[in-house]
Amino acid sequence: MMTGLYLYARWLRVWHWLNALLFMVLIVSGVSMHFGGSALLMPFNTAVTVHNTAGILLSVTWLGFMIGNAVTTNKRHYRVTWRGLPQRLFAQMRYYGYGIFHNAPHPFHVTADMKLNTLQQLSYLGVMYGLMPILVMSGWAFLFSTFLPDTLFGIGSVWFVAMIHLTVAYGLALFLLVHSYIITTGDTLTSNLRAMITGWHPFTPPLERSFDHAAETIPPKTADQRS
Amino acid sequence: MMLALFLFTTPITAVTNQAHSAMKPPEDHRACLRCHAMKTLAYRDPLSKKIITLVIDPSGFEHSVHGQLNCRECHEQHYQRYPHSERARAPLHCVKCHEDGKKQAQHQSNHQPPRQYQFTTIEQEFKRSVHATSDEPDAQDFNCHSCHNPHQFQRSQIGKPLAQVVRDDNAICLSCHEQRFDSLETTHAWLPRRDKHWQAVRCLECHTPLSTTGQPVSHQILAAADSKVDCVNCHSQDAQLLTRLYQYRSQEDVARTGFIAKAVFNDAYIIGMSRSPIIDFIGLLMIALTALVLIGHGWGRYRAAQQLSRGSQ
Repeated sequence: MMTGLYLYARWLRVWHWLNALLFMVLIVSGVSMHFGGSALLMPFNTAVTVHNTAGILLSVTWLGFMIGNAVTTNKRHYRVTWRGLPQRLFAQMRYYGYGIFHNAPHPFHVTADMKLNTLQQLSYLGVMYGLMPILVMSGWAFLFSTFLPDTLFGIGSVWFVAMIHLTVAYGLALFLLVHSYIITTGDTLTSNLRAMITGWHPFTPPLERSFDHAAETIPPKTADQRS
Repeated sequence: MMLALFLFTTPITAVTNQAHSAMKPPEDHRACLRCHAMKTLAYRDPLSKKIITLVIDPSGFEHSVHGQLNCRECHEQHYQRYPHSERARAPLHCVKCHEDGKKQAQHQSNHQPPRQYQFTTIEQEFKRSVHATSDEPDAQDFNCHSCHNPHQFQRSQIGKPLAQVVRDDNAICLSCHEQRFDSLETTHAWLPRRDKHWQAVRCLECHTPLSTTGQPVSHQILAAADSKVDCVNCHSQDAQLLTRLYQYRSQEDVARTGFIAKAVFNDAYIIGMSRSPIIDFIGLLMIALTALVLIGHGWGRYRAAQQLSRGSQ
C-alpha cells in the first residue's frame, strides 16, 4: 500500500515553479548579457530587458516566499536542530557518496514535521536566506548604482556590485544544477518532482520497502493540509 | 581662458535651464544682432584664408548659458563702435570671467548648483592636451572656442537621450576630425563593432585620461598614441572608468525614463562589464566539474540498480 504526506501547500508549489522559471530565464538572459555577441545567445538588448524584468519578478517572488514562510507552518522545516547536526550531515553525505550505490536505507525519513534532510535544509537556508537576498540586492544596486557611493571598500562601486552579483549568480547556478539532480534520488526518479507538482510526498509503509525504514506515523489528511 | 567647456559636464551636475529661457534677453542684444543675426555675415581670414563666420543664431544664443548676459559683458571696449577696432580680433578668455571671485559669488547667489568644473583646472588640463602641444598647423591658435561655441553652449540636459548626448558631443570632435567619416580610415580598425561604439560612447571616453581632480571628464585630450586601445578599460576591470561610464549612463536613464522604466529598460549595461576572468574561470570550472560528478554519480546509480536487478532475478 502506498500513501502520502501532504508537504507542499499550493502557495509553495506556485512559488517554487515560478521561481524555477524565473531562474531559468535569468540564467539564459544573464549569460547572454555577460557573454554577449554569440549567435547562440539572446540578442543583447532583448537580454537586458528580459533579465531586468525577470530580476524584478524574482525579487517579488523571493519576498513572497519570505512572507509565506513567516506566516505559515512551513517555517518549521527551516528550524535547524543543532544537536547531532554534524552526524546527520555526515550520514547524508555518506549516503549520497556510498550508500546510494549499495541499496542502503536513506538516512533521513520524511515526516510532516520535517520534510528536509539536514543537507537539504542547510543548502536551502543558505540559498533562500543568504545567496538570494544578496543576488536580489546586488541586482537592484546594479540598476540604481547612481545612488551608491563612487567607491566601496576602495574599489569602484559598480565593479564591486558586479563581482558580488556574478559570484552569487555562479553559486546559484551551481545550486540549480545539483538541485535538479538530487531530486532524482527519491523513492523513484520522479517521485520528488511529482511531489512538488501535486503537493503529496509518496510514503511507502516500512513493510513494503526494500530496506528497513523506521516506522513513522502517517498523519491524517486534514482540511488544513489540503489547502 | 577656457569658456564654455560645460559641454563636458555630465548630467550629475547638469540642471535644466528652463528658468533661464523663461527670462527675457538683455536689451543690448538687439543692437549687436542687427548685424550678427544675418546669416551671411562672415569674412575671409587673411592668414589661413578660411571663411570665418560671424553669425550668431539669436534663438540659440537666448537659450545658451550666456543668453542672459549683455554682449558687452564679454565683448568690452573694442566692440562699442562699428567698424570694430582691430583689437577686437583678440580672442576672449574664459577663465578671466569664470574664475573671477565676484562672478562666482553671483553664480551661487543665482541659486545655480555648484560647478563641478573649475576653469583653472580645465586650463591646466588643456595645456597638456594634444590640442595645445601639437605642432600641427591645424592645431595652431586652438582655444576653448574651437570646440565650445559660447553663443550656443548649453549644459547637458537631464533627460536628454543618451544617443543624442553622444552624438552631440562627438559632433564637436568630428567637426574637425572629418577623416573619421572616411570608410577607409584605419586608426580605429582595431575597435570591434567600430560604428556601434561611435554611436554609444563619446570620443572623450577613450581620448582623455581618467580625471584625478574630481571633475567628471578631463580636458587633457590625448594623442592617438596615448589613447586607450584596451577593451578591458571599459568592459571589465578598470573600476574607475567603468564606474564613470556606467554612472553617466545610469543617471541619464533614471532622469529620462523614471525609476520603473529604468529598472526594466536601462541603457547602462555594457557588454562584458561584469566579466572577471578569475571568477568566470572558477565559476565555469566548478559548474563543469559538478556536472561531470553528477553524470558519474548518475551512471553509478544506474549500474548499481542493474546489479541489484540481476541479483534479485
